[in-house]
Amino acid sequence: MEVYEIFRRSGHKNPFEHCGAVIAPDPEMALLLGKECFLRRREGEHLWAVRRSDIHALEDESVLEIAADKSYRFASDYRDVVDKREAARRRVASMSWGGAS
Amino acid sequence: MSYEEKLEEFNRRVEAGDKVEASDWMPDDYRRGVLKFIEMHANSEIMGALPERECLPKAPTLKRKMSLAAKIQDEIGHAQLLYRVAEDLGKSRTAMYEDLLAGESKFHNVFHYPVHHWGDVAVIGWLIDGAALVTQAALLDSSYAPYTRVLKRICSEEQLHLRHGEHITLQLASGTDYQREMFQEALNRWWLPIIHFFGPRSNVAKDLLLHWKVKTRTNEDLRQEFLDRYVPKVTELGFSFPTPVPRLKGDAWVVAAEDIDWAPLDAIKKNRGPETQRRLSRRRAVYDSHRWVREALSEPAVHAA
Amino acid sequence: MKEALVSLVTALADDELIIGHRHSEWTGFAPHIEEDVAFSSIAQDEIGHAAAYYSLIAEVTGTSPDHMALGREPFEYRNAVFCERLNRDWSYSLVRHWLYDTADDVRLAALQESADASLAALATKMRREERYHLLHANAWIKRVSEGPVEGRTRLIDALGMCYAEALALFDILEFEDSILENNLLPCSSSELRGRFSMRATSELDDFGLPADVHRDLDDSAEFLASSSGDLIASEKDASSASARPGIGGRAGMHSDEFKALWDEMTSTHRLHPEAQW
Repeated sequence: MEVYEIFRRSGHKNPFEHCGAVIAPDPEMALLLGKECFLRRREGEHLWAVRRSDIHALEDESVLEIAADKSYRFASDYRDVVDKREAARRRVASMSWGGAS
Repeated sequence: MSYEEKLEEFNRRVEAGDKVEASDWMPDDYRRGVLKFIEMHANSEIMGALPERECLPKAPTLKRKMSLAAKIQDEIGHAQLLYRVAEDLGKSRTAMYEDLLAGESKFHNVFHYPVHHWGDVAVIGWLIDGAALVTQAALLDSSYAPYTRVLKRICSEEQLHLRHGEHITLQLASGTDYQREMFQEALNRWWLPIIHFFGPRSNVAKDLLLHWKVKTRTNEDLRQEFLDRYVPKVTELGFSFPTPVPRLKGDAWVVAAEDIDWAPLDAIKKNRGPETQRRLSRRRAVYDSHRWVREALSEPAVHAA
Repeated sequence: MKEALVSLVTALADDELIIGHRHSEWTGFAPHIEEDVAFSSIAQDEIGHAAAYYSLIAEVTGTSPDHMALGREPFEYRNAVFCERLNRDWSYSLVRHWLYDTADDVRLAALQESADASLAALATKMRREERYHLLHANAWIKRVSEGPVEGRTRLIDALGMCYAEALALFDILEFEDSILENNLLPCSSSELRGRFSMRATSELDDFGLPADVHRDLDDSAEFLASSSGDLIASEKDASSASARPGIGGRAGMHSDEFKALWDEMTSTHRLHPEAQW
């Protein structure tokens, strides 16, 4: 018997999500037992069973650390667009031909 | 890093409210303590299924029959979740189950008592599940993260069980004299075990689980929350309490320490409760006579169809 | 017509209730924790199906589903004796689960063609839920039959005990003539029994499990409907040594195992029949 990690997905808008694990003799039984352990209230419509030994985890989590500033990867870094837009409008208003008539 | 340095770093992390994962370094005492605690929780879920299981065949309506079956199924499901979390701390589910059967490990005191009739289902479903929910909700912020993740699901199902138990109680409370008597009689038997359920006063200085924030609140604190929450509800339904009778002091419902007889709890800690041996031996008998199922599940196919 | 419908649906409902009740006795004790959860779902499904059938009867007769389920005398139950047997061990329960759900699939397929529209619609809905039961039962039988000798031997022994009694799921129903005249069932019970035994024996062959030893039983003794609609044992068959075991349930004749089940199952309800629970 082996541990199978169980994943479920509800609807089409969300990705598969880990929801637990079962101990089962084979993938077929893992799915049949997993269905009642983790979907008996219809918490999802799709089910995966993955042998735990087939899951590879990042061993050294320190590689996730970020040393330099990577704020440019996030939308929050561009929050000043409001001010920028205002500045741009002021600039346009100040132009001699006054913009579109 | 030396062991002392690791320990110091671990203590600092936990003190700061950081959570611990199964793959993290942890002191042996932490691992052992958490394992034992979760193992007992899992044992309690699977043994806790039995008292209600004894009433299931007698459910008075089709709907109650199905909903009680579903509730007991949830309890078994909780055991399934909890044993998985405990396994990752280094003890196999088989070893935990066999220790339970051999009487080497513990389960909660309330599951060592007999059930007699439908009134027991009401008390278990409402007050015992209510007590369990108070203690489990307090663990949602435990330092051991894998435990808190399954507790999230467990607590949400326990909320449902509480509604289920309250529903059965209210039906009895608004029913005939006979039905009201069923609840009262069951309450008389269960009240002391429920008070015991939270355990004796915590020894804060010595309790490693409190120290490492595996548990976040003391036994007496949890018992007080339960009393304040449930005593008024039971009273409002016109039921009364046996010893230890809760009394209002200021705005808290308290039971006097000298009114609590701890002897029954001490016997249960030695697995000598009224139903301990009967329930364990029934489990053992089924387990022993089904070795062939475990073999069929664990050994590869030998007969090609 | 009304009597025919009630007779048919009562037999269906009682089978589901009683086998669901037996299945639920595994709760807390099944030989694998995940299986405990799964088998409880199957028990709940069967009880749920019983409730749906009883509601159908309630619409016709005005009685309540709970009264049908828990308020009748033992001789009023029409379930096959097969459903009421004690669980014995997992091999027995498993084989019974497999045989019952295979039989139920045959029966539901026929009921989908019933002239009674609500019954046909209900059968279609239930058959969907029964898909899981079949997958579950098949996976287990396959696993154990291909596994070590002890499990396989136990399966074969359980089949020996169960198979003949399962055939009684298709014993003649009270008012069967009227059931057929009104097309409540598209074909007779004995025709359904033929379909079931063909399918079961062929699937058992696929599992490498012996089924042929039972072929001679398919057409042996059963109860016959008298002109009044009551069931009587045909004299010839009742005394014959080849009479199948486990017959009589459709006529309200049950085993001692049922009496004990009934005592327990109806005990709270009987305490106080007027109460709301």
